[in-house]
Order: sequence, then C-alpha cells, then structure tokens
Amino acid sequence: MLSRVANLIFWTARYLERAENAARLLDVNAQLVLDLQSRQAADDPRSWEPLVYVCGGDELFHKLYGQEVTERTVVDFVLFNRQNPSSFLSCIAYARENARCIRDQLAGEVWEELNTFYLKLKEDDYSRYAQLGSSEYLSFLKGRIQLFYGVASSMIPRTQMWWFFELGRFMERADNTSRILDVKYYMLLPDNTSVGSALDMVQWASVLRSCSAFEAFRKSRRGQLTLERVVDYLVRDHFFPRSILFSLSEAGFALAQITAAAPHLADNAAARLIASLRDHLEKTVIKEAIADGLHEYLDDIQLRLGEIHAATQETFINYSSDTAKVLA
Amino acid sequence: MPDLFASYEHARFYDEMFAAPGKPHAHYQRLAERFGRMEGIGELLQRQRTADQTFLSRGVTFTVYSDNAGTEKIFPFDLLPRIIPAHEWKHLEAGLTQRMQALNMFLADIYGEQRIIREGILPRGMVDSSKNFRPELVGFKIPRGLFVHINGTDLIRDEAGEYRVLEDNLRTPSGVSYVLENRQVMKRVFPNLIRDYRVRPVENYTNDLLALLTYLAPEHVPEPTVVLLTPGVYNSAYFEHSFLARQMGIEIVEGSDLVVEDDKVYMRRTDGLAPVHVIYRRIDDDFLDPTVFRKDSMLGVPGLMEAYRKGNVALCNPVGTGIADDKAVYYYVQKMIKFYLGQDPILPNVETFLSADPTDLKYILANLPKLVVKSVNEAGGYGMLVGPHSTTAQIEEFRAKIIDNPRNFIAQPTIGLSRCPSVCGSTIEGRHIDLRPYILNGETIKIMPGGLTRVALKKGSLVVNSSQGGGSKDTWVLADETSAPFQSQSQSASPIVEKVLV
Repeated sequence: MLSRVANLIFWTARYLERAENAARLLDVNAQLVLDLQSRQAADDPRSWEPLVYVCGGDELFHKLYGQEVTERTVVDFVLFNRQNPSSFLSCIAYARENARCIRDQLAGEVWEELNTFYLKLKEDDYSRYAQLGSSEYLSFLKGRIQLFYGVASSMIPRTQMWWFFELGRFMERADNTSRILDVKYYMLLPDNTSVGSALDMVQWASVLRSCSAFEAFRKSRRGQLTLERVVDYLVRDHFFPRSILFSLSEAGFALAQITAAAPHLADNAAARLIASLRDHLEKTVIKEAIADGLHEYLDDIQLRLGEIHAATQETFINYSSDTAKVLA
Repeated sequence: MPDLFASYEHARFYDEMFAAPGKPHAHYQRLAERFGRMEGIGELLQRQRTADQTFLSRGVTFTVYSDNAGTEKIFPFDLLPRIIPAHEWKHLEAGLTQRMQALNMFLADIYGEQRIIREGILPRGMVDSSKNFRPELVGFKIPRGLFVHINGTDLIRDEAGEYRVLEDNLRTPSGVSYVLENRQVMKRVFPNLIRDYRVRPVENYTNDLLALLTYLAPEHVPEPTVVLLTPGVYNSAYFEHSFLARQMGIEIVEGSDLVVEDDKVYMRRTDGLAPVHVIYRRIDDDFLDPTVFRKDSMLGVPGLMEAYRKGNVALCNPVGTGIADDKAVYYYVQKMIKFYLGQDPILPNVETFLSADPTDLKYILANLPKLVVKSVNEAGGYGMLVGPHSTTAQIEEFRAKIIDNPRNFIAQPTIGLSRCPSVCGSTIEGRHIDLRPYILNGETIKIMPGGLTRVALKKGSLVVNSSQGGGSKDTWVLADETSAPFQSQSQSASPIVEKVLV
C-alpha cells in the first residue's frame, strides 16, 4: 500500500484509541467524584485536575481557562475543546479527516460510521453532557467508537490496511495505559500517608475501571487490590487486552503481518525494538520497579514506545527513495 | 394540473417541463401526475430532507475555499429531474461526437503540422498568446494519437429551446461523481418513477473511464498500473477524486507519493517503489512538474514530463489540451468542424465576440451592459461580468480590463437559459439550468447518457456554478420514445427580453 495511506490509517487508529481513552478517563473520574465522601471533596478542583495531566495538557488548559479548574472547564477541555488537540472531539475530527483522505480505500460503511459520528458530535457541548449525565453521555461516546471498531473489523480486508490500523491502535493503547498508571501514582493520592487507605482502594478500583479491567482483574488475580498487583496486571498481563504487554504483543503481530508480504523488510528496527521491550516487561519484577520509582519505569516505557514509533515511520513511511527496493 | 404546480410561473424562458401554463411536455406528463399525487409540498420537502441527509452522511461534499475552516458543503440537490427524450439525446450525441472529433484533430494539428494556422483559419497569435499552449510539446508523439481523452462540454438551451455549446472543459472537467451519486439518491427516493420512465443508466461511466485509462498505457505493459493524481484533500473536488478512484479500484496519489527514477514513475509504497503507467491527473499542467512548469509547485512530481516524453507514462488528459478550451479559441470550433471534418456543426456555439478582434471589440465596449464578458482562462463563474446584473462601477472596471488586455476576454449575449421547475423554499419555481455531458475519447467515443444538470438556485440568477450557489438535478435520458416530438420553436413561449439580437 502507499506509504502515505499507511500513515493515515495508522494515525486514524491512534486518534480513535486516544479519544476512547479520554472518554474512559473522564468516566472513571466522574464516578470517583461520586464516591468521594463529602460534598466538599466533590467540589474540590483537585478532584478534576488530574484529568488535565493525564491528557498531557496542563499548560494549554491554564492558557485556555486560567485557574478555573471545575467540572465544567475540565469536561469542556477533555471532550469538546477544539483548541485542545487531544480532546475527544479533536481526536474524532482528526480521525475523520484522515479517513476522508483515504475514503477511496475504505468501505463506504466504515467511512460513514465515522462521518456521521463526527457530524453529530460537533454540535455537542458541556450542557449536552450535563443534561444527559456523564454516565449516559460517555457511554454513548464509547459506544460509537466500539461500533466503529465493529464495523471496521467486519469490513476492512486483512491486508496492510488492517495491520497498520492494528499497529496504530495497540501502540496508542500501550502508551495510554502507561500514562493512566503514571498519573494515578503521582496525582490521585492526597498524600503518601493515604497509601492502603479505603480511599486508595477506591482509587485503584477506578484505575482498573478506566481500563475496563476491574472484573477481569478480579477473575484473573483473585486477590485484594494493592498497588503492586494492579500495576503488575496492567503492565504485564498476557491476556488482558489493555495491558501494556498484551498491546505490545498485538502491535508486534501486526508488524509481522505487514512484513510477511515483504521479506526484504522482515528484519526491521521497529520489530527488534518491540521484541526488546517485551522482553524487558517480561523480566520486570514490579515490586522492584516500584521501589526504584514507578514513574521512571513508566517514563522509560513511553520513551521506548516513541522509538518504536519513529522506527516504523523510518522503515515504511519516510524512507529515502535512493535506498528503497524497486518492485517489479 | 397538480396542485404543486398551480402557482408555477411560466415565464418568458424556454421551460423544460411545461409547453404552456398547465400543459406539461409529453415526456413530463407522468412526472406531473406523480407529483400531483403527493400530499402537497410537505411530502416533497420530506423527501428533499431525506436526500440532503443522505448526501451529508455519505460525505458527498465540496470544499469552500473562501472559508478558512475548509467547510464542506453538499452541492444542493434538487429532486425534480431534468428529462431528455431519446430523440433529443440522439441529436446531442451526434453533435458532441462531432465536436470531440474536431477538437482532437485540432490538437493533433496544433501540436503537429499546424495546418489550420497555415491555411489562415486560426491566427497564429491566438495560439502563441494562449496561456495553455505548450510549445514544448510540438512534435510530441502522443499515445494512440489521442490528444484529448475527456471533455465536459457545457450546453445550454436558448429561448427557442435549441441546444447550444457554451464552452468546452478539456482539462479536468469535474462533476461526474455528482451525476452518479444523484442517481443513487434518486433511485432511493423515487424508485418506481425511474423504472416507469425507463431511464438509461449512468453507472457504466467508471467502467468506460477505466477502460480508456488502461488503453492509454505504454504498449509493452501487459497489466498497467493506473493511478489518480489529486492535489489533495483540501481541493474542492477531492470528493470526486476519491469517488472515482474508489469506483475504479485504483490508487489515489498525491505528488509526494510519486517519484521519478531513470525517467520512470514510481509510487512510494510501504514495501518499496512500485511502477506507475497511467496517471489520471486532476491537477493542471502548470503544477505537474516543477522542473518544467511552475517551479514553486509542491503538488507535482519532479521529472514527470521527461518520463511522459519518453513514453514511460501516459497522462490523461494529455498536457497542452488547454489550448482548445481557451474561451477565445472556442470561437473557432465551428470553423474547425468545417475545416477538419468538412461538416456543418450539429450543435451551434453561443454567439461570441472576440475582444481581440477590433470590430468585435468596438461592439463589446458599446454594449457592455447587455453582454456577458468572460476572461478566457477562468472557470467556476469567476472573472466574469454579467452586464444586465452589474452596477455601472463593475461595468467600468471591466471596460478598463478589456481595453488593457483584449486577448483575455470574450463576450456573449445574455442568453435566457431554459428553466426547469425546482424546489425553492416551500414552493416550486422555475430556475435556470445548463447541462454538462461527459465525453470519453478512447478506442471509440463514449458519451454517458445524461450528465450534470446544474441549476441556478438563486432566483433570477444565470450562474449555475457550484462555487456561486448553484445546485444540481438528476438528468434522465429516456431509453425510448414515450415522449412527444421535439418542441418546435413556434410553440415556445413569449418574447425574449434579455437576448441581445445583433
């Protein structure tokens, strides 16, 4: 397939995954606020602020809203603000714009699903969210993305088109899960003395829920919620579809499918980097990682994901035409 | 007479539907009855909303340049179709075929022996001064001897109902995707009516186009790779580009996707560089190759022209065809038909004055308020003056421009374009229309039965371009003669005010 097209479908998947992640995070936070024991705590700006950090946009947030950290401003920032490139609406708009560029390659239904969702979404704002309630509104958003995945998975042929889509989706997911963990570790706890408290447990449950992992965790690990156990599950579980290790395996599989038809590219830098990061995760003892600093550990994962991204670009998208193979 | 048409104003223009107030032409009888059975305008508007919604969801849109946000708009679609009876279409087909033959012979001549100049039919200055003449290509051996592959000829009907050629679009005529999409929507909204009418299908167009493109490939390539070259997603016609690529199953590429190595064209794929043999290019000559044409173009492919000259890649339409849709050269097409084919033109041009000609120039300057003035290379309704609808200041501005550069303008009388009933707000009113059929010139000449009927939805407007607030209608070419004979001129309606008689 054309390099440009591969890049567009890759980014379409990344944007969709990022959008879904924003909706999940918001959902969890909204539920968490409901769980807070006092009205005062629920109104505390600190109940909403962490979300801004998760989305990596605190500077931009303050530029747009000043110091006004409220449910209203944070929800607007995370969901609707077009000036925030990571907002739900921005992500859907980018995904849809990318899909528009390659709509000649997409089944009509795939494009229409995204197009109609975007057209509906762009009329929405905070008051619509408030009117329906976070739970109903956000499940609508997540539902439409799941619907898109459903249509896509039953319509897109398993050619490179699909595998670049999968590659983008799982690369983004691995990154998102690492960010959720990172922010929880640093932001959600009022102070270190709360570790192990009831509030801490509620919050770890919320982290699992933001990855839709709560029930899966309970079934698979049969144990109490603790920092170590939750982190280990979300980083290293082999079977849970949103764990970092699982996402990385899927990304590696997609990459192998991409090069299956191009043996001259089989030994590529991205594949080697994925294998090495997987190996690293397999060998990690989470207890030690936490002792050495979980933030640094997660930061390193994000860095390595960035290198994998750069390597795929270099191999398949931005290669120099002097060195490229001329196909028959 | 159905209620919906009860207050229809039958004006002085030729009316596509009504021969006289309350009396539809025979081929519109059934439509009048069908709409008469509707429960008032409400049902029609309901169907109109369904159609609009369908276009929006499917993303059948064009991009508006003036708007920074790159807003996409649907090209407004009007539910009342334009119907062309079989015998009338036969006449159009014959005329368009003749015109295509003559234009192809003209281009072959102008990039070859230039007989038409030597024999004094066309002044040399007319060619040399045309922005779209490519002297680099004189003597170039073009694949299959085909100098023009696709023409979208704009036709209008004058006050007497006679079809006339308004202009040719030989470079990158657009709009055919709307023809195909309009039909899809009409099939959903009025399935029975289309069946009863025996409307000829338009769907073969993309097959014919693909066959044409494949036919142009270098002869030694058994299975040629065909691609469509687009300026990109922000181009106003991007929807059409992706639509055609999808329908033909070919790759849509941007300039940056292509590279030229050893005078051969390749596309950048994830697994390496794959050869390309035929390019259906939807960008103008000027932007094709920065090493030959505009140096600042980011849209094209460096080295493409050399690959083209060497015969390693075919371009559709070929480079340099623009000389034949220069609006001043248009004036000479009537003469070309006589010169190359020894025939009389079947479809007449609209009467045209050349400001490059001193006698005509004098006439033009004396009659500006009555004329339509067009600059010879603009499209999309830009760069024109519609005399009767312009202020004194606008007229004077054009006068200065014409005097400054006479070669750059032509003038035509204001034609009262025919009108067709159209849904306007919550009533049905007559609106001016034109017709752009699409003519393919490959192994044989093929004309899609129908074409794009554009409609000037603004009341009284004669400008049908999408960029100027126009819309479109489905065009129904009927398979058989269920209709009355061609409306003769004597029966057509009241005197014409707007036409300037010379």
